[in-house]
Parts: sequence; C-alpha cells; structure tokens
Amino acid sequence: MTSTSRPKMQRAGMGDSRYTWSTFGLQLLGLAVSFFFLFPFLMIINNSFKSQRELLMNPPLSMPSSFGFTNYVNAWKKLNLGVAFSNSLFYTVVAVVLIALLCTITAWAIARGKGKLFRASRVYFLIGILIPSQALCLPIYILWNSFGLINTNFGLIALYISTGLSFGIFLQTNFMSTVPVDIEEAAQIDGCSVYRTFFSIVLPLLRAPMSTLIIVQSFSIWNDYMLTNLMIQSTPRRTVTLALKTLFSSTANDYATAMAAIILAATPIIILFVALQKQFVKGMTMGAVKG
Amino acid sequence: MKGTLTYQRKQQYQYASLLLPAFILFTVGMIVPIFMCIYYSMMIWDGYTVDMAWVGLQNYINIFQDEYVMSSWKFTLIFALVNASVADIAALLLAVLLDSGIRGKSLQRTIVFIPCLLSAVVTGFVWKKLYSTVLPGIVSALGLPINLQLFGSTDTVLWGLTIANCWQWTGLWMMVYLAALQSIPPEYYEAARVDGANALQRFRNVTIPLLMPAIVTCTVALSTGAIKTYDILVTATEGGPGRASNTIVYYAYNVAFKLKQYGYGSAIAITLIVVLLLISVVQLALFRKKEVQL
Repeated sequence: MTSTSRPKMQRAGMGDSRYTWSTFGLQLLGLAVSFFFLFPFLMIINNSFKSQRELLMNPPLSMPSSFGFTNYVNAWKKLNLGVAFSNSLFYTVVAVVLIALLCTITAWAIARGKGKLFRASRVYFLIGILIPSQALCLPIYILWNSFGLINTNFGLIALYISTGLSFGIFLQTNFMSTVPVDIEEAAQIDGCSVYRTFFSIVLPLLRAPMSTLIIVQSFSIWNDYMLTNLMIQSTPRRTVTLALKTLFSSTANDYATAMAAIILAATPIIILFVALQKQFVKGMTMGAVKG
Repeated sequence: MKGTLTYQRKQQYQYASLLLPAFILFTVGMIVPIFMCIYYSMMIWDGYTVDMAWVGLQNYINIFQDEYVMSSWKFTLIFALVNASVADIAALLLAVLLDSGIRGKSLQRTIVFIPCLLSAVVTGFVWKKLYSTVLPGIVSALGLPINLQLFGSTDTVLWGLTIANCWQWTGLWMMVYLAALQSIPPEYYEAARVDGANALQRFRNVTIPLLMPAIVTCTVALSTGAIKTYDILVTATEGGPGRASNTIVYYAYNVAFKLKQYGYGSAIAITLIVVLLLISVVQLALFRKKEVQL
C-alpha cells in the first residue's frame, strides 16, 4: 500500500518540511486529539485500582488510595478468565486458520478453473459480502438448533467460517495474479496433482495475503458479541467478550471489577498489536472494507 | 492426444473439488438462511410450537404500521448518516494532521488506533460510565452548567453514541486514509506550491481528488457498518432511554428472541437486507460519477 522506496526526508505533510509556528499549532491540536483518545483508558486504569466504596464516594478524577491488585484478582476469579481466554484463543485460532486456508484454496480454484462453473462460483460467493450476517441471526439460530450445533465448539467455528468466507475469498482473489502460472504448470507437467501444486507451490507464495486475512478475521472473531452470544449459552464455553459482558449489564453493580477485567482482557491484545503493528495496521485497514 | 484431454478434464474436476468445502459451508451458513428468512417473514410463529400460520405479506404490511419499526429505522438512518459524516471527516483530518511535520506522529497514530482493538461491548460500557459518572463529576467540579449525561436523554443519546462509536473506529479509517495519503507523490504538492497554492488550496485540489477512491471506500463501509450497529448498544444504552436508540438490528433481534415473534422479526430483517443493498448500489453509482468527473 505504501511505497517504501521513497526517501523519508521528502515526506512531511503536503510538502511542508520546516517546523514553523503553524506546525506548533498542529502539534498542540495533535496533543488534544491524543488526549481525547487516551482519556477513557486513563479512566479505566484509574478506576480499576479503586475500591467500590472509593468509586462511589470520591470524585472521579481522584487517584486511587492504593495500587493493590484486589480488583484484578477478583475479576480473574469471578469471570473464570483463564477458561475464557483459552476458549477465545481456541475458537479464534481454529476459525481463522480454516478461513484463511479455505478462502485461499477457493480463490485459487476459481482463478485457475475454466468454464461456467468457476465464473458462477465467483459471483455466488460475492453475494455474502452484500448480505449482513446480523440480519440472518434468527434463521441461522433455527438451522443450527435443528442440527444440534448450539453450544458446541464445532457449531460456533462453522458459523464464524461460513460468515467470513465471502470477504476472505474476495480479498484473496486480488492476489491470485501474483502467483506465476508457469511454475504451477511446470509442477503439473512433472506429475503434481492440483492438490499437491496448491500445498507445495501456491500456498507458500500466498503467505503474506493469508496473514493479512488472519489478522482481519482474528479481530472480528475475538471481539464478536452478537453471533457468539447467539451460539454459546454455557459458562464453561464462553469467550472473553461474553464473560466481560456479564459485568456490564445494568443490574451488575461491580464497576471496579469490571474495569480491572477490561484491562486484563485488553492487555494481551494491545501488546500483540504493539509488537506486530505494521502487519496489524495493514491487515485491519484492508479488512475495514468489511465494515 | 486423448490422454492429454482426459488429463485436463481430470484437472478441472480437481479444481472443482477444491470449491466444495467452501461451497457447502457458505450455502448452509449464508444462502439457506436467506431463503429461510424470506420464508419465515411470511409466517406467524413463536419459534417453539408447531403452530405456524401462513400470512402472506401481512408482516410486511404491519411493518409500515408499526411506529416502533419506523422509529427504529429513523434512528438507524440518522445515526448512520451522522456517524459516517463525523467519522469520515474526523478520520481524514486526523490522517492529514498525523502526516504533517509534527513530532511524535507514530505514537499519536497508535493512540488513536488502539480503541478499535476493543470489543464494541467494552466501548459501550466504558462510555456509559464516562457519561454517567466521570464527565458529570468533572463538570460539577469545574462549576460548569453543562449536562453531559448524554445517554440519559432522548435528545442527546444520538450524539452520545456517535462520540463513543467514533472514538472506537476513527483510528481505523484514519489508517486507511494515511495509507492513501502516503501514496500521493510529493511532486504534486511541489508543483501546486510553485503555482502559488496555499495549504487549503493544496488540500482541496490535490489531496481530495487523489483520495477519492479511499473516500468512497470509507464512506460506503462507514455508513453500511453503522446501519448494522448492534454490539455497542447492548452495553451502552440497551436501546434506551425508552426506545430512543433502537437500531433496526437491535429491534429485530428483540422482536425475534425476546418477544418470540419469529415471523415478524424475519420480515424486519428482510427490510434491513433490502435497504443495505439499495444503499450500496446508490452510493457506488453516485461516487462513480464523481470519479469520472475528475
């Protein structure tokens, strides 16, 4: 997306390169903007160290009286976050790996196959981009229920895959032109089957777009509430997002624990993000089209 | 020759077989539900009993007489419009700001981006707490006569949700714009500068036209995304106060699962599908015209 070949010096805001008074003005504006985006996080952190009493009695901007981890321990135990984390991780990893594989295979087959069947398939899979899965909650629920798939790992993962396929196939189709057909043909002349050609030649060449797809899907799956809530009804199977939600309802009156739980749930993701920032931004901006 | 022909045919079968897993999952998980949705939308059914009565288009007729559906649609469309405009403009301006000559750009980009890593249910809860306790506390400490309990009144809930939603998503769209901005050759700005264009003119006549494809992408995705809003409402307002912030997805979900009107809920869901299809078509057609004009 970004051309990296250009020397860095030239790139400074619409051609400006000197630090002037107006740059200083922009700097202040930038600080104000950053404060707006950072403020809720500061508030969460601050509240996560306060006791329930402190939250109710003291003014909101006061500092916590002590920086103990009672709320964090409570949140971990109360929500059974260890189990929730491993559930979320399991669903997300299995679903995104399968989505990335299936989408790449399908996009490749569509690009290489000849004839009406493959042209029609391209259009068929595109339908899913235009249809919001939010509108299909009810029939999906009824269908999954009749298969006995509600509250099962398989049911949830199958749902994530089926709703994620269209976008992934659409995304991967754009990269098929980067795979040189000559190598594939050479392999096939040497007696490689289509399957073997895919796994030993095409797949390694498409690692970069696949990782983009993986990042896009991981986020929407990890953070999903609607579909997950529809499918998962038992506490031992619930994800981090579902577990957090139980502290957020208007009847739950445990803000301090909720704030600590948010920090616990968000920290691994933010660390992962900071470590892999470049790939993340690339993946998420491409996935943004998904809406 | 016969050997090669059968070999090629075999190869085509192998390619076709690769389509099969995705085809089955997609058909079962997306296409069959669409037809089920259309079918149920012509029924009266509570989802549990075997009593299912065919009512034809009655559910659709009822939609137009149901003031709650109408008010939900009204809220959804206004929210989408306000949200898409605010987020789109904010993202574009932030991208320009964080691509300028200021210091600490990458840190600031990260800060603006991080909220979109959170789940929307978390965002909803955090902003509910901000509006109900933290911000009023600050305002009263400063002695200002402003009411910041934005989720508390039917007049302000739209703006409260817009701020919360834009806080979460602006960073993502800013990154889309940043990528597009960085692909504009600096020579264009140099040329405009030599011709005596000031910063505003350069923005209007160089940046905006060259960003048009990104603007189309962002506007379409932002508005259709806002129409599908559900998760943030679950924790932020629960559709309230009263029914003031029911989006159509939220309302359809409640009609189906809480009120047990599966048929009617399906009909409302169909209106969502139709409206989204129409909006995508109209937006693409409109923007395509704009691009040609350039």
